Amino acid sequence: MSVSQQDLDPDSTTDVEVVTDTEEELIKECEEIWKDMEECQNKLSLTGTETLTNSNAQLSLLIMQVKCLTAELSQWHKETPEITPLTEDVLITLGTEEFQKLRHDLEMVLSTIQSKNEKLKEDLEREQQWLDEQQQIMESLNTLYSELKNQFVTFSETRIFSELKTKMLNIKAFKEKLLSTLGEFLEDHFPLPDGNVKKKKKNVQESTKQLITLHEILEILINRLFDVPHDPYVKISDSFWPPYIELLLRNGIALRHPEDPTRLRLEAFHQ
Amino acid sequence: MSVLRPLDKLPGLNTATVLLVGSEDALLQQLADSMLKEDCASELRVHLAKALPLPSNVNRPRIDLIVFVINLHSKYSLQHVEESLHHVDASFFLGRVCFLGTGAGQEHHCILHRNTVLKLAHTYRSPLFFCDLEVEDFRATMAQRLVRMLLICAGHVRGVSALNLLSLLRTSETPPPEEL
Repeated sequence: MSVSQQDLDPDSTTDVEVVTDTEEELIKECEEIWKDMEECQNKLSLTGTETLTNSNAQLSLLIMQVKCLTAELSQWHKETPEITPLTEDVLITLGTEEFQKLRHDLEMVLSTIQSKNEKLKEDLEREQQWLDEQQQIMESLNTLYSELKNQFVTFSETRIFSELKTKMLNIKAFKEKLLSTLGEFLEDHFPLPDGNVKKKKKNVQESTKQLITLHEILEILINRLFDVPHDPYVKISDSFWPPYIELLLRNGIALRHPEDPTRLRLEAFHQ
Repeated sequence: MSVLRPLDKLPGLNTATVLLVGSEDALLQQLADSMLKEDCASELRVHLAKALPLPSNVNRPRIDLIVFVINLHSKYSLQHVEESLHHVDASFFLGRVCFLGTGAGQEHHCILHRNTVLKLAHTYRSPLFFCDLEVEDFRATMAQRLVRMLLICAGHVRGVSALNLLSLLRTSETPPPEEL
């Protein structure tokens, strides 16, 4: 106490004297109290001891309690509360102590809050970093996604398209080849009748000039079948050489109309 | 055979001493640690004992409060405490003794009934607490309560005496268990 007191007023010598006076007074008071206590202690040591058994405990304890409580009560009645002399320096000392305590508490609060703040800052930084990372991941994923999407589009539209195109070209070429081969075959093996057949030469000499090839007959039949599917029959004209018609009918390539023998159609191979 | 008496010595400056009596060393030690962790203005001293009487040749400070710890899981724990009670002066029971029953939480391990301990505490007109000392939070709370009580018993709280506190505690206590 004295240390704090002198810290408070290091310059004023008169104050120091007053302080030492009050201090001495307080110490004197304490000494008196201690003396009283020693006396009481002596008296107490003279009283005998008493132990309890389970049977008598309650009653004797209750009696003792009553006695003691009555004594305490009368003591409270008699006593007038004493307070330490409220001189200026005592008040100052008490106030200083109180303030120092308060300062200590407040400092503790401050440091706690500062450390909490720091912790929060660290947390924030960590969270921010985490967020950045997540955003980067998001970005890269997005770019990846868009790349994949583009690839998909080019794949689906251009590549498939070109592939289909080449396939189609191939097929067309193959068809052309097939058609020309078939045409050649027809030309080679089914030529138009020439003057080898003498009998017929006379009879149909006029009409032979207008005869068409087997190739052309087939084309007419095919075109008719696909252009007018509901009525595929073709009228047999003079330009059809009858042996070829017979050939087509015999081999089941063409069919005669069930009611009109002058008309015929191609067998529906494609159905 | 020395009998423990309250106020048999002059108090130490700003010190309060508690004596924990119980057969479970580990639990007492933990409770003592928890009490010493409590923040208070006075200097705390905690003494541990398996049973009373204490050896008479040792110089020890004035004991302000005795806590008898009874483990409900062991019959001997109660026996030790009952025997120890015969070595305590009657004036100690004017607020400077309390009983602490532990282990009531794990009911299937209990050998002693709560009522047995309740009756004992009632016979000696002393407060009884129940607390599972093995649970740290409960132990800390109990330690806090005991420290408050100890400060009052040591006379460090102005205007409240040990007997005063005892009569205050009694009003909130449950009525005594019926005779079995």
